[in-house]
Amino acid sequence: MAVRVHLSSNLRGPTGGVAEVEADGSTVGALIDDLDRRYPGLGDALRAGVSVVIDGLLIAHPEYEPLADGGRIYFVPQTAGGSSHA
Amino acid sequence: MTVTEPKPSYKYVGTRPVRHDGLEKVTGRARFAADLNMSGQIHGIVVRSPHAHARIVSIDTSEAEAMPGVKAVITGDDFPAVEPGHRQYDMCINVIARDKVFYEGHALAAVAASTRDQAQAAAAAVKVTYEVLPAVLTIEAAMAPDAPVLHAHMMTAGADPPAEQPSNISNVTRFSSGELDSGFAQADLVIEREFTTQPVHQGYIEPHACVADTGQDGHTTIWCSSQGHFSVRSSTATLLGWENTRIRVIPAEIGGGFGGKTTIYLEPLAVALSAKAGRPVKMVMTRDEVFRATGPAPGTKLRIKLGAKSDGSLVAGDAYLIYTNGAYTGSGGLLGAMTVFESYKIPNFEIEALDVVINTARSAAYRAPAAPLTAFAMETMLDEIATDLGIDPIDLRIQNAVTEGDPSTMGFPFARIGFVECLEAVRDHPNYKAPLGPNQGRGVAAGYWFNIGESSSATVNLNEDGTATVVTGSPDIGGSRASMALMAAEELGIDVHDIRPVVGDTEAVGFTDTTEGSRATFATGMAVVEACRRMVVELRGRAAKMMGVDIDDVDWVDGQAVYTGSDDEKAPLSVAEITAKAKRTGGPLTATGSLEAHGAGPGFAVHVCDLEVDPETGVVRVVRYTASQDAGTAIHPSYVEGQIHGGVAQGIGWALNEEYIYDSDGVMENPSFLDYRVPVASDLPMIDAIIVEVPNPAHPYGVRGVGETGIVPPIPAVANAIHSATGCRIRDLPMSPVRVLGAITSNGGSNGA
Amino acid sequence: MSRVHVTCTINGDPAEFLCDGGQTLLDALRDEVGLTGAKEGCGTGDCGACSVVMDGRLLCSCLVLAPEAEGTTISTVEGMASGDDLHPLQQCFLEGAALQCGVCTPGFLVAARALLDRNPDPDETEIRYGLAGNLCRCTGYDKIVRAVQAAATEITAINES
Ligand code: FES
Ligand code: FES
Repeated sequence: MAVRVHLSSNLRGPTGGVAEVEADGSTVGALIDDLDRRYPGLGDALRAGVSVVIDGLLIAHPEYEPLADGGRIYFVPQTAGGSSHA
Repeated sequence: MTVTEPKPSYKYVGTRPVRHDGLEKVTGRARFAADLNMSGQIHGIVVRSPHAHARIVSIDTSEAEAMPGVKAVITGDDFPAVEPGHRQYDMCINVIARDKVFYEGHALAAVAASTRDQAQAAAAAVKVTYEVLPAVLTIEAAMAPDAPVLHAHMMTAGADPPAEQPSNISNVTRFSSGELDSGFAQADLVIEREFTTQPVHQGYIEPHACVADTGQDGHTTIWCSSQGHFSVRSSTATLLGWENTRIRVIPAEIGGGFGGKTTIYLEPLAVALSAKAGRPVKMVMTRDEVFRATGPAPGTKLRIKLGAKSDGSLVAGDAYLIYTNGAYTGSGGLLGAMTVFESYKIPNFEIEALDVVINTARSAAYRAPAAPLTAFAMETMLDEIATDLGIDPIDLRIQNAVTEGDPSTMGFPFARIGFVECLEAVRDHPNYKAPLGPNQGRGVAAGYWFNIGESSSATVNLNEDGTATVVTGSPDIGGSRASMALMAAEELGIDVHDIRPVVGDTEAVGFTDTTEGSRATFATGMAVVEACRRMVVELRGRAAKMMGVDIDDVDWVDGQAVYTGSDDEKAPLSVAEITAKAKRTGGPLTATGSLEAHGAGPGFAVHVCDLEVDPETGVVRVVRYTASQDAGTAIHPSYVEGQIHGGVAQGIGWALNEEYIYDSDGVMENPSFLDYRVPVASDLPMIDAIIVEVPNPAHPYGVRGVGETGIVPPIPAVANAIHSATGCRIRDLPMSPVRVLGAITSNGGSNGA
Repeated sequence: MSRVHVTCTINGDPAEFLCDGGQTLLDALRDEVGLTGAKEGCGTGDCGACSVVMDGRLLCSCLVLAPEAEGTTISTVEGMASGDDLHPLQQCFLEGAALQCGVCTPGFLVAARALLDRNPDPDETEIRYGLAGNLCRCTGYDKIVRAVQAAATEITAINES
């Protein structure tokens, strides 16, 4: 399942600064595995705690979230809201 | 009120019933944590560091232990060791210091005795030998090349290239988009400004308090005031090295939190003392302790550069943000980076944000953490651009405001949001055009907060008489119980006063994340709606049995089961008729809803502030204030207004006089309400709250969290109004009389634009 | 340590309690008498959460020593309602949503009643200054001021009827 992946700019180290990449996966977890194969190190960065936005919905713990073929997903820093020790 | 989108008409949602817990609160019967007393209870007192930075050489508790009434003394040695890298390392060594103290007021031991006086005397007899270390008290000092390093293991996270030496910079966050240089090259106007702000306290009126009772079976019960009793349970267990389930946490009424009661301070100490003494232990902080050892929101140093075309469109932004999170890692910088440019379309930007540690109390969340400060910088600079370009400040914002589909700082497109609607609501309000008197000025500012979802659980029980009890796991810090009851009333068709909303303890309701990020009415509300919808299916099934028809021929209409089939007409059945026969139709009626809520809608707010500056003294008096905010759908409008009012009042205090003041050794000099001074009734005018309703597509009633956004715009609104009144731009907080007077008298101000 | 025996009237009822000489009236009310309506927000006279009326005077009970209560008449939030009937201030606070967390509410109610006893028809400024000794961090005071205005109107109407 091919998905368009958008990385927030703080996550682009492993892609050499590229914002949008393509990867495969039927769930967000599988997608991260594939991204890690394509861009070594990216998996760790993504598993360390990110949220995703799919179809306009911010999802904080997305590992098993299903993905649609040709869909678009945005990886963003985990937003802990008021719990953050700001 | 402005309703900007058509919405279904509701019977209960959007009404203003008297809240269910109100009677107890106006009669003095409500039980806050400090009001609870357990049989056989003794009292715990914390021993705190007088030094801002020191190594603990030794702690001698022998004299304290021998004092009258003393039942237990504990130190860091009574807790499992934690190493850097542990998930909650900072929290653990903050609750009780191990080898070092990091700020004045840092807890390092605790004593329990029969009376509070005895405990106090024994606490004073705990002998601590310190090796005093140089205190790092400012951002500049923390970042100086030869600065003493607070944490020997602290390697800057996110540094590129990776950090090789430990430092006081805990994190770096970077976001960017487009091409900065070419962006600025398109600009007709470029301004660059610097801002400084000091730590402030949430200032909840109820000090932290708890009672812990540990049994001989190694299980403990904690009664406490917190924004999230499930997180009290897990954090306390982490500190003690216990399984979560050895701890039951029963939430007391909470006397204000604003983010500051999302973390723990006393509970593990009370449990450890209680385990040692074999008695329930009550601990209540003094106000002095609350100021010195809990809470502050970060201080900052911010530098922003903005470029605009002469038509007002923003083309480039460069932000360098430094947040101090007290003595530990924090996320002020990350949250600052996420909010600084979020509200506006800026095609080319770079943001770099640092989190820095200094020897002051560990910061805690405070209502829309970090955002009021980025707004202070950004919104005052927009005001300057509007003035320089001769554009109305609201028109400038409408021109640049993000709307549905525009990319956020992190790249994803916004869903439906109500920013422009909030701007229009203020522009069209009489306040915006009202004449001003001498020495008066008007300022406008906007604010943004993203809000969160997370996990929530709810249980609905129908009682024998047809009334309902709704149990959730969300502590009610501002009227959320009434909102839960309203949504349940709407779903079930039961009168809102026949619904009893209850906050369940950790063993009475499913896991629920902390009340934070403006999530209670949004996420826990979704769980309540889910439980109610399941209940309606159950009710239809029971009614079908009683009518002797198929469930598919029974609808739920206005609190009644209505037969829709083609057989002879059947009388509708009310909830009370169904519950009365519950035993015969399948037993008690109960339903639960548990979910991880996705799609918390961002909240926007726009404020206009009128104020008067006394040119002789520099005293600023806010004379009129109007605040619009997108609530999605206001479930209980009075409490939405209340959240807006509260945020505005805190923001005005932050703008005009609140700050932590330390002496040169890092000892806090204003740890009392008298010296810290939060706004009192005579400092403020009425606050006109305009509720804008652009429903959040992800919530069944369109709710957006409303708890936090209201504190974001006041600081810049006040600053812009001071400029309008005096011609002076003040870029350092607080804008106290001394500072305002200084700005006026130095001919346009040292910071004058 | 010998304790002090205090006899007084609390909310219309005769009351007796033992206290330490250095104990505050607030602590005695809460810990010895069991009336926890008055709260401790600061213990230094700065927040008004501990407001009570003693012999007709509004004061911060955290600043009064418990033995000073000997022979006095004290009223606290617990005594405001008469039987089933809430005091108009209590009713107006409820209906006007003049509380959020509610920890400041007992102090505001006691202080507002003292204000209305003194000045039955205060304007907004008089209410704001009259309640300036009470801190509320949740409400921004807007709905509190309105509730006091509403209660003043109601009390005047009751007295005139
Ligand atoms: S507790 Fe008495 S004034 Fe604050
Ligand atoms: S309602 Fe919370 S302090 Fe007043």
